Order: sequence, then structure tokens, then C-alpha cells
Amino acid sequence: MNAFDQLLHGFAVALTPVNLMWCLVGTTLGTAIGVLPGLGPALTIALLLPITFKVDPAAAFILFAGIYYGAMYGGSTTSILLNTPGESATIVTALEGNKMARNGRAGAALATSAIGSFVAGTIGTLGITFLAPVVVDWALRFGPADYFALMILAFVTVSAVLGSSATRGLATLFLGIFLGLIGVDLQTGQARFTFGVPELLDGINVIIVAVGLFAVGETLYVASRYRSGVDEIIPLKGSLWMTREEWGRSWKPWLRGTALGFPIGAMPAGGAEIPTFLSYYVEKKLSRKPEEFGHGAIEGVAGPEAANNASAAGVLVPMLTLGLPTSATAAIMLSAFQSYGINPGPLLFESQATLVWGLIASLFIGNVMLLVLNLPMIAIWVKMLRIPAPQLYAGILVFATIGTYGITQSPVDLILLYVIGGLGYLMRRYDFPTAPVIIGMILGPLAEQNFRQAMTISAGDWTVFFTRPISATILVLALLALAGPRLFGLWQTMRLKNQALAGDS
Amino acid sequence: MPDPTGDPVVAPRGGFAVGELCIALGAIILAAVMVWQVFEIPVSPLYAQVGPTVMPFFAALGLGALGVLLLLSAVRGGWQPEEEREARPDWQALAWIIAGLVLNVALIGPLGFTIASVILYVCVARGFGSRNPLRDAGIGLAFALIAYFGFAKTLGINIGAGLLENWLESIVFGVVPS
Amino acid sequence: MLTRRELLATTVVAGAVQGLGLSFAQAQTLDMLKMFVPAAPGGGWDQTARSLEAALRATKAVNGVQITNVPGAGGAVGMPQFLNQWKGQGNALMVAGMVMVGALIANKSPFSLTQVTPIARLTGEFLALCVPAGSAFKSAKDFADALKADPTKVPVAGGSAGGSDHILLGMIAKAVGAQPAKVSYVAFSGGGPATAALLGSQVAAGISGYGEFGEQIKAGKLRVLAISADKRVDGIDAPTLKEQGIDVELFNWRGVFAPPGVNDAQRTAMIAVIEKLAASKEWAETCKRQDWTQITLTGADYGKFITEETARIGGILKELGLA
Repeated sequence: MNAFDQLLHGFAVALTPVNLMWCLVGTTLGTAIGVLPGLGPALTIALLLPITFKVDPAAAFILFAGIYYGAMYGGSTTSILLNTPGESATIVTALEGNKMARNGRAGAALATSAIGSFVAGTIGTLGITFLAPVVVDWALRFGPADYFALMILAFVTVSAVLGSSATRGLATLFLGIFLGLIGVDLQTGQARFTFGVPELLDGINVIIVAVGLFAVGETLYVASRYRSGVDEIIPLKGSLWMTREEWGRSWKPWLRGTALGFPIGAMPAGGAEIPTFLSYYVEKKLSRKPEEFGHGAIEGVAGPEAANNASAAGVLVPMLTLGLPTSATAAIMLSAFQSYGINPGPLLFESQATLVWGLIASLFIGNVMLLVLNLPMIAIWVKMLRIPAPQLYAGILVFATIGTYGITQSPVDLILLYVIGGLGYLMRRYDFPTAPVIIGMILGPLAEQNFRQAMTISAGDWTVFFTRPISATILVLALLALAGPRLFGLWQTMRLKNQALAGDS
Repeated sequence: MPDPTGDPVVAPRGGFAVGELCIALGAIILAAVMVWQVFEIPVSPLYAQVGPTVMPFFAALGLGALGVLLLLSAVRGGWQPEEEREARPDWQALAWIIAGLVLNVALIGPLGFTIASVILYVCVARGFGSRNPLRDAGIGLAFALIAYFGFAKTLGINIGAGLLENWLESIVFGVVPS
Repeated sequence: MLTRRELLATTVVAGAVQGLGLSFAQAQTLDMLKMFVPAAPGGGWDQTARSLEAALRATKAVNGVQITNVPGAGGAVGMPQFLNQWKGQGNALMVAGMVMVGALIANKSPFSLTQVTPIARLTGEFLALCVPAGSAFKSAKDFADALKADPTKVPVAGGSAGGSDHILLGMIAKAVGAQPAKVSYVAFSGGGPATAALLGSQVAAGISGYGEFGEQIKAGKLRVLAISADKRVDGIDAPTLKEQGIDVELFNWRGVFAPPGVNDAQRTAMIAVIEKLAASKEWAETCKRQDWTQITLTGADYGKFITEETARIGGILKELGLA
């Protein structure tokens, strides 16, 4: 039986009224928890695991799939409107998205993010349907050395967010690396930079840092300037929806973001954040208006949003084809399989065809449902920007607190959030960019761990990074991205000089 | 280091800038603390080609070097844009918000999430110039309770129940026919 | 929430109020069991707690269960809270296991599991030593020989350093005469990424819970060289380490503990509840479904086991250079 017939069969499973209801519950719940910083899909599904004792497997997985995709939608909404990313994969969205919202283009930002997510989610799910075995085969070829090269390539993206000074931008990058290194070292089990605080042993959650720097820091900054009337939010300028120009500037980033997100998401150590960084960088480089980046460029929302949803689909590839959980959410979904007595593994597609195809079909349905739910909501969301500043900012701070305190109930996390908020205020006041902190914090430890894994595997041989074909290729790409524009410029001037010389003679 | 002198926009103003100086010193001190902490990381005899201290050490080194560059820039007059330098931060507003944050951390344990949130809400709104604390308290209360019952109850997680939550719960759910 | 539930529970004892709303049925019970899980929802301890809850309810041993999660550092964050704030509570249980013994030692925590009241060891998962299907290692002996020849040339994947996978590798190295601290252990952030590295032949071998590899083995993508159980296991075609001349046995066990300071009557009552559960049909089914081996051990024997295990794991962690 081919994939297409199987998929049709899957739709038959998913399209029953009861399962549609579960899908609706899941997408709504997913959107709601995606909105809350700190409360992610993994934790939500874990808390809902007992439901597996009560409902049949198809319904449970449809619910979980809805939560999974819904969280990505919800996370971007708060990134755009409140500068408060709900999920780590939507941090990049806040960079341009919130600037757009402040300039009166919140509707367009939300629309390009919802439609981009839909496009990416749908293409990604098609990828699961038809390409899964190929993609997974390819993804498994990546070893730690290759991942290290990928991280180096992703580090290049920091050049797109350095702001007005390389010194200050890099200083915040290093601050991010420091924050990322806090906690127990995976390779040797030693505590680093924990200063004897047990709560720091597991490291600092990147969401706390992002919310602290963006939301709390921004609130403090705006308050310090509020009476002098700086930094006013324009709720709406022009059309609520995307203009023709904005469509034209969005569709290519959607596709490029998907192309980056899906394969990287499918890699066992890829994750959802790296493709959003790469997408942001690519869009800034390819944009005809790179000067708009940092002030609300729609490409910078469209690309990363598509990338994070495509990677969410990508993560399901190793889970469904090999039974490999490569993210926290996938791990919890796998344990749900187990509580039904199903052992997910390479034979899952054959042994549980109905269930797997029902799940895939519900991903398609969930995506449509999310688009239908989210587009009309935009008009309501945008009204939120009309809330007077005192109430809006007070709400943002309470909101940031719920997510942070709610999960661990540890005052340590709350203190961290506020201290980092204070730091965010100073950074804003003294013209330091905040995005490099996040990039350093996510990529620093990943690059370090992969580097050390690679070195342990090679028994200390440094050349692995250059002798492995994948790693070497990616490193060359990174070098080109870094030095390419300069070399090109050099070549251009040389050529012009030569031409001039030739003209002279 | 690509282009460490990339601050061409602001011309050196002569004299040093106090704020910038503090920040540069902060970065250098953090780097120094990092180096000190790196030596506190026990390096086990465990076989690992690259140990747990290498990356932290380079991170500290990098931060320290950038701190020195920032210091040079600060001594030459700083880098703050003119309008930021002119603007005086509204300390009263900041004080209200910081008070709200401190009270929130202090009270969320003993009094529960809702009461602490209401206090935070009122303080922040006051910082932004709201003159109607009672109305703000009402809005904050509604907001916190929706969050509490919406998330804590549907998902069964405890986001910090205190007196108020327990009292309300016993009213809302306790009077169901007995 | 705690206070209210306790309050309600006592009212119920006194007044025997019946028929409150359905959603709060658990609050009006006589036997309210409070479970403390020093890990995030979804992990092994949390699943143990939630499976216990279901089985205890099904057998009518208790009517209400309330679970509190305090995640962090393999239990090192939750432990002080359980020791101090839950002290003397006769209706409370903490779910913990072998990983916590190691985590407390490796994180240099001032606490140890010998400070809480042992109730029962419940389940265990044995670990498996696996290689990619095309590997040159045909048996655990081949692997041991390579390890003995040069431990640095045999990269082995597993979970975080100091965890059960790493501990087993250290024990194997020690048993075959290689220096544990010289072993080239590649730590991954979980069983999934470690299995992926093994499937892609990025490493020579991998160690993890058997469940992590089981399906890959069935599909012929991985080969199991040995399992760490004490004897062969039904339905699993793999020899133990012991039969191949490597004298090592390791279970990633999980069990329950009462807080310190409970009195003898409370302790005995709790042990009775858990013993009854462990013998029940429902619990046997749960364990079968989750691939857990039942290795029940209660009361004083369990206490003795904890002391021995703490010493054994502390010793191997020291040799690995982690303690």
C-alpha cells in the first residue's frame, strides 16, 4: 500500500466527530499554553498523560499533536504583541515581530506568522508523509563533529544582530555563552558557575532569560521614559491585514524557512532554535531592504516562524520512523505510546499503521484548524495594543511571572527573571543588542558539547572536523558566509581597477 | 575580533562617561569572577579530550577582552547616543516597578500567587502613572484569577496557591450540593 | 492547595460528608496519599508515581493521591525540601531510585537517601550494551578485550556523565581490568540522541535502559551484546554480562521512601499498603506494560540495600573521577 492510500485511511480515522473535537481541544489548549512563557508542550502533554488511561490511542495522539502544533502558534502571538516569547523557538520572532507591532503592523505580523506557520506545517507534514525514511537516513549521518560545524555556521548569524557596534554585540554574545554554561557539565558531571545554588545545577532556562531581557527589561525602559513620551505604541497603521507588498515579501521567506526548519528539525541534535537563527540571517542577507531589519522587517517574522513550525514537523520524523525521541515533547509522546502497550520503533509504521496515519492526518487537520482559529483572532489581538500603557505593562509583568513561577514554584527563577530584567534595562539604555545573548546561550553550550563529543570519539584528533565530508562542507559554508561578502567586495574593486587600467592603456 | 572600533557614529566627547565606565568595569569584574570560578571546577581524571574548563575559560577571556575595549571606549567619552545621554530616567516610575517586583518575590510564597500578582500589578500601573489603584487592583485580581483557575486547574499544576485561592476554591467548589 | 486539602480531609474524617462534586472526589477521602517526585513530569520517577497512583486507586488501597513535582539535578534540588518540609508526614511518599543515589554523590549534596525512611524498592530496569548491526564486536568478550587493550579507542554513548549508563560502563571497565577513568564515554542528553549516534555508527557501542534499544534490536538495526540483569530475561535473546565472564550486575531500580521522622506505626502501615500493592494483579500488569522488572524489597532489608548501594555507587563514581 502506498503512502497516499495510507494517508486517506488516516483521514478516515481523524475525521470522526469525536476525534475532530479532540483536535480542537488540543489546538486550543496548545495555543493557550504556547502563550505562557515557561509552560511548553512537553510539560503539558506530560501532565495530560493520565488521559491515556481513559481514551483510545488515536484520540490521545490527535490531542497531543494539536497541543504540539498549537504551542508554536501561541508562542509567536505573545512574541509579536508583548515582546514576551512563549517558547524558545519563537524568540527570534520577537525581534522583528514586536517592532512591527509597535509600528502599527501587528495585524500583518500575526498574519504572516500564522500563514507562514500553516505553509511550513503543511509542507513539513507532507515531508513526514512522503520523505520520512529518506530524511531520517540522511539525518543519522550527522555525528557530533558535523553538529559542531553546524553550530559554527549558526554562530555566523550573530553578525546579523550585532547592532551598531561589534564590540558591544560580541560582549553580549559572551554574556550569553556564560549564562548557557551555568549548570552541570553533561560530559563530566561537574558543576560550573553554579555558586553553590542547587537550583542552578540544571542550568538556566533560556525562556527566563529571553522574557527577562525582552519583556521585563523593556517594561523598565519604557517606564523610565514614559513621562517624556518616548516609545509610543501605534496600535494600527494602514490595513489590519497584510498588504500586497507584505505578501510579496513573505512567501519566499516562508518557503526558505521551511527548507531550513524541516531537515534540521529531523536531525537528532538539531532542535527548533537553530533553524530560526539561520532563517533570520538568510532573510536579512537576501532582503532588498536589509536596513529595515531591527525596525520591523516582515521577512524577519515570516522566515523564522515558518522555520520553527517546519522543525516541529521535522522532530516527528525520527520519532515516527525510528521511535527516537529527539526533543522533550517527542519523548513524552513516546511514553504515551508505551502506556498503550505500543513500543515505538522502526517497525511502528507497519505495526501501528492506523494509529500513525491517523496522527499524520490529524497534523494536517490541526494545521488547518489553527489557521482558521488564528486568522479571525488577529483583529481581537490587535485591540490588545490599545490597552493603556499602565494596564498593558502591568499585565505583561504578571504574565511573565505566571509562566516562570508556575512551573517550578522556585523563587530563585523569579529572582533570576527580575535581575535579568534589570540587566535588560541597562543594555537597552546603553545601546547593547539583546539578541546575541540568546544566540550565545543556546549555541554556546551546544557547540561545546558537540565539540567535546567529537573529540572524545576521535580520541583527541583535531582533524575530524576537516576530514568528515559533512563537517568540512558546512565549515566552508560558514567561512564563505563570514568572509564571502568581503572577498566579493575585494574582487569587485580589483576588477574595477583592472578595467580602469585597461581603459587607460 | 572583527572591527573593534566600529563605533563611528558617536564622536569622542572627551572626558569619561560614568555609566559606560561602570558597565565596562562590570564586564571585567564578571570575567574575573568567571576565571576564579573556572579554577573552582574540579577537573576529574576522567578521560575527556577536552575538559569542562576549556570553554568557560575562553568565554571568560573573551568577555574580559571585550570589557577592556569597552573601558577604553568609556574613558574616551562613552558611546551612548546623544538623546539617551540627555534624557533623565524617571526614577520615581522605576522605583514603583522595582518595589512591585521585590514585593512579588517576597510575598508569592507566603501569600500565594494571586495576592502577590495584584500587588505587582498595582505597583507597575502606578509606575506608569495610573492614579486609580482600586481599579487596577480589580483588574489585576481578575487577571490573576483567570490565569490561576484557567491554567492551574485545567492542567492540575500548582502555580502557588495561598489563602485567597483556597478560600475561593472552597466557596466555588465547596458549596456544590453536599 | 495542600492546606485546603488537608483541611477538607480532616473535616471529612470528623463529619463524614458525602457526595461532594465529582471533580473533588479525591479531596474527601480518608486515605490521602501525598507523593513527592523530585523530577519533572514525564520522566521515569514521575511515571512510577503516576502508575502507582493508578494501581493504588484500582486496588482501593487509597482513594486520593496528590503528586508534587520538584524537578532538578537528578533529585538534588527536591531532596532538601522532602527532608525539611515533609518531615514526619505519615501519609507521604517520595519516589526515587538509583539515579538519585548517584546524583546526590556527584553533585556533592550534603544529603543522602540513607536519611529518609525506606519503604520499598519496587521496580528495576536492567541496562543493555549494544552495538550497531555491522559492528565487529560479536560478544561482550570482544568488547571487553578492546576495552582492555585501549579504553580510549572504544567510544561508548550513553546518558549524562555519572548516570546509570556511565556507572555500568565504569563497572564493566573495572571488572575487565581497564581503568574506569580512562574509558572514553560520550555523554548525550538522553536515550534518544544516544541511540541516534549508535544507529549512525558514530560511536562503537552504547549503553542505556533495554527499553530504549528494544525496538531497534527487534528491527535488526542494533545488536545487543549483553544485559546487566542477574539472570537471563524471558523474551529477550541476550546473555547477561555475568555469563560472559564480566562479574557485573546493575539495575536502575526505583522505589519509595517516607520522610524522616515518621513513627513506627506509620512506617509499618505504609509498608503494608505497598506490599499489598506489589502483590496485586494490577501492579503486575503495569510493570509488564512498562517493561519494568518487579524487584520488590521492603522495610529493613530495603534500608540495608540502600546503604550498600550508596557505598557501591559512591565507590565506582570515585573511580570514574566524579566524586
